[in-house]
Amino acid sequence: MSRGFNQLLDAVVRIDVRELAFEAGARRFESSIGSGVILSDDGLVLTNAHVASPRAVELSVTLASLERVNAKLVGWDHWTDLALLRLDLAEVRRRGLKFAHADFGDSDKLYVGETVYAVGTPFGLTRTATRGIISNDNRYFEDETGVDGYETGAFNTWIQTDAAINPGNSGGPLVTEDGRVVGINARGYLGADNLGFAIPANIAKRIVADLVRNGSITRSYIGLVPKELQDLESFYALALNNGLLVNNVDRGSPAARAGLRGGDILLAVNGVKVDGRFPEQLPPIQNLIASQPVGATLKLTVKRGAETRDYAVVTEKLESRVGEDWAFEKWGLSVRKVSRTYARENQLPDAVGALVIGVQPGFPANVAGVSHGDIITKVNQQPIDSLDVLKRAHAAYERKPEPVLVEVMRDRQISLYVLKP
Amino acid sequence: MNLRLERKLLIVLALGWSAWLRAADLPALWAERLKSVVVVEYYTETEIDRRPSLSYGTVIDDRGTIILPSVAVNGRATPSQLKDFKVYRPGNPASVAGEYLGQDALTGWHFVRADASIRGELTPITKFAPRTTIEPAMADEVWGIGLRSKDEDFLPYLLTSRIALVQALPQRTAIAQQEVSGPGLPVFNRDGDFIGIAASSFGQNYLQFSRDDRGGLPVIMVNVEESGAVLVAGEVLPYLGRIPKNVFGRPLAWLGAYGLEPMDPEVARFLKLGDQSAVVVSEILEGSPAEAGGLKDRDILLAIDGQPLPRFKPDRVVVGYVGREIEKRRPGDAITFTVLRGSVRTDAKIVLGEQPKLFTEAERKYFDRIGFTAREFVFDDAIARRVKATETTGVIAHFVKANGPAATAGLRIDDWIKEIDGVEVKSFSAAAVQLAAIESDKFRTECVLLVSRNGETAVLRLKL
Repeated sequence: MSRGFNQLLDAVVRIDVRELAFEAGARRFESSIGSGVILSDDGLVLTNAHVASPRAVELSVTLASLERVNAKLVGWDHWTDLALLRLDLAEVRRRGLKFAHADFGDSDKLYVGETVYAVGTPFGLTRTATRGIISNDNRYFEDETGVDGYETGAFNTWIQTDAAINPGNSGGPLVTEDGRVVGINARGYLGADNLGFAIPANIAKRIVADLVRNGSITRSYIGLVPKELQDLESFYALALNNGLLVNNVDRGSPAARAGLRGGDILLAVNGVKVDGRFPEQLPPIQNLIASQPVGATLKLTVKRGAETRDYAVVTEKLESRVGEDWAFEKWGLSVRKVSRTYARENQLPDAVGALVIGVQPGFPANVAGVSHGDIITKVNQQPIDSLDVLKRAHAAYERKPEPVLVEVMRDRQISLYVLKP
Repeated sequence: MNLRLERKLLIVLALGWSAWLRAADLPALWAERLKSVVVVEYYTETEIDRRPSLSYGTVIDDRGTIILPSVAVNGRATPSQLKDFKVYRPGNPASVAGEYLGQDALTGWHFVRADASIRGELTPITKFAPRTTIEPAMADEVWGIGLRSKDEDFLPYLLTSRIALVQALPQRTAIAQQEVSGPGLPVFNRDGDFIGIAASSFGQNYLQFSRDDRGGLPVIMVNVEESGAVLVAGEVLPYLGRIPKNVFGRPLAWLGAYGLEPMDPEVARFLKLGDQSAVVVSEILEGSPAEAGGLKDRDILLAIDGQPLPRFKPDRVVVGYVGREIEKRRPGDAITFTVLRGSVRTDAKIVLGEQPKLFTEAERKYFDRIGFTAREFVFDDAIARRVKATETTGVIAHFVKANGPAATAGLRIDDWIKEIDGVEVKSFSAAAVQLAAIESDKFRTECVLLVSRNGETAVLRLKL
């Protein structure tokens, strides 16, 4: 193989993760294995968001030399399924460890049929290289709960490859013959024959830069859910290759407040024409909107029936669907804060409340009758607008166990329960 | 010596004889009472098929009126879909026509009237009810009638049991040791007195073991042909006069409170309500009599017209009790609830209204080429979709034909269609006209629907 490829092999790592899990009505640890690639001499490691999330409490990186070194999470972005770690350089220096770093290639120059290699840790088999070709260089693959319940794939398309990608390959690089990283392997169809998907390097480059700078990625949200036009141009009396179908406008979102609604056609954003004829064209348009500054006023040119006019929409910060998780161990109760997205999808009147994600049998919550999927809306008559309300009540219970009254909503029905010591 | 032995035998025989003697007249009692029992068959005609249903019924008067249990008819079917009612007598393959009279909201019974030609052969159950209604008690011997399947001409057979327990659910219900009659069929004591009607049977817990599952899989089994639960005569006889005046059972009293949940006894104690039973009201519907009368979301109902809510087991039964208190009344009647709101006790006097149009009363029309049934948007649709009841534009996809153009485009049952071909749907009739025009236009190749599902819209493109 080329020199570049050999250097790449020295930059691929195995990542052992121990993370907190709250689902059991208690705080527990889970462990998993993924892959990653070292990007710089100062120890930046790129992997998947579904490998290393903020829940991780221990990240252990195995270098090409098979030596293990600890790492810390720099930041993550579940939308692109990318996470960035930094090796403990003090430890590296102290132990005199050596590692190489890999370089990005240009993923826009890939062509279907080009030979590529996936390197990673499938099923824990450290340093496994597999070979395949680029099967598709522009795959639309959005999933609302694809990264451990978080949204992914709305803002980027994916590279598809038939290089074998198995569980554990996640976070490892997809490289060309010269060892340049053109993608980060992330997903595969289980049970299918080599249908694997990677985040293109050109997307990853931007995310890495932002994560290094800010530790997180900030995106804008206006609440517009797009759909491809695909032959509906004649129905909407549109010129070919201009326009995006608005399939839905989220309730209470900036676009809804501005007056947009489902069935509208978005023609341009700030005067830039959009073309959403095919599903593959949707992520770049979504990204165009998401990459505007939060609080910016966008001019959306929209066609409704025969009328075309501009709407001014002020962007908001994009939030994830998954709220904060917490476990109240004395009650045997795990909850997740109801997010705006969750409230909207479940048609809740507001985002007040904590969703029950686990109860421990025999503990007060379970004994009282609280069950998985309930939403706790009040504790001791106080609305739960943040988890702090519950945390305070639990802290008081820890100090002095006394009955606590909770109001629970289950499928719109309100019930009261008492958590008793 | 021999003689002494015989005598002993005789005493033993005589001891057992008294019960046996009474049982000896059972065939006569049986033959008479069998005339109160029928099987009703009907078809539910949907957009694309006809499904037969069978239900057991009890004759209640000399005009051939029959009551069927509430489960006899699927709640989603409208009366106009119920066709070809037939009435069979046990052991007789011949049938006569029946007429569907409707459902009574309080009892849940469906009423059917048998053709006049067999009325002489039917005996109302009231004939076997003594002047003072008999309340079954624990250990009473009771019997009832089971019926075999249609291909065995509904051959009747005897079921006997003893009463194990009488419970308020909230109606007084006698639970027999085992199945004692077909659901919907009468139950008698040893003297042949009518003591109740068998309700749907209760589920029983079993563990199912198999080669694959040696741990035992918990399953609940429900006997649909025979039942051991009996609604006692005192809960049946006073209501036999509730023959609906129309198929929808109107007038229907309406409160407008949504999501009644029983209060946990622990919570009652916590709120210092003592042994009081209570019901939490999840939501008060907009524009409802409950709202006009001053009830609020999350009020806790404590009493009706000054009477504290009785305590039932299971706790959930109290919800049925409140429901029945409303259904017993008529639109225009007043009902006063004592409620706990926060820490304040207050009374709310409510004048009950008439139920808004029901699903079953909504207009509907099936479009075979497009492949779905459009149904008028009614009050309950607004509640289910959490929109204002006044926001009644659009139509509901009541039925979607599998693999038809609408189904292929992604339309699903209960989708709310808000626009057709970019035109806002203002009313059911407007939608029906527009869909009929699309349906009959042979040159049409597509139509576009804007639908709402779970509060989110989607544009569906139907290829015709």
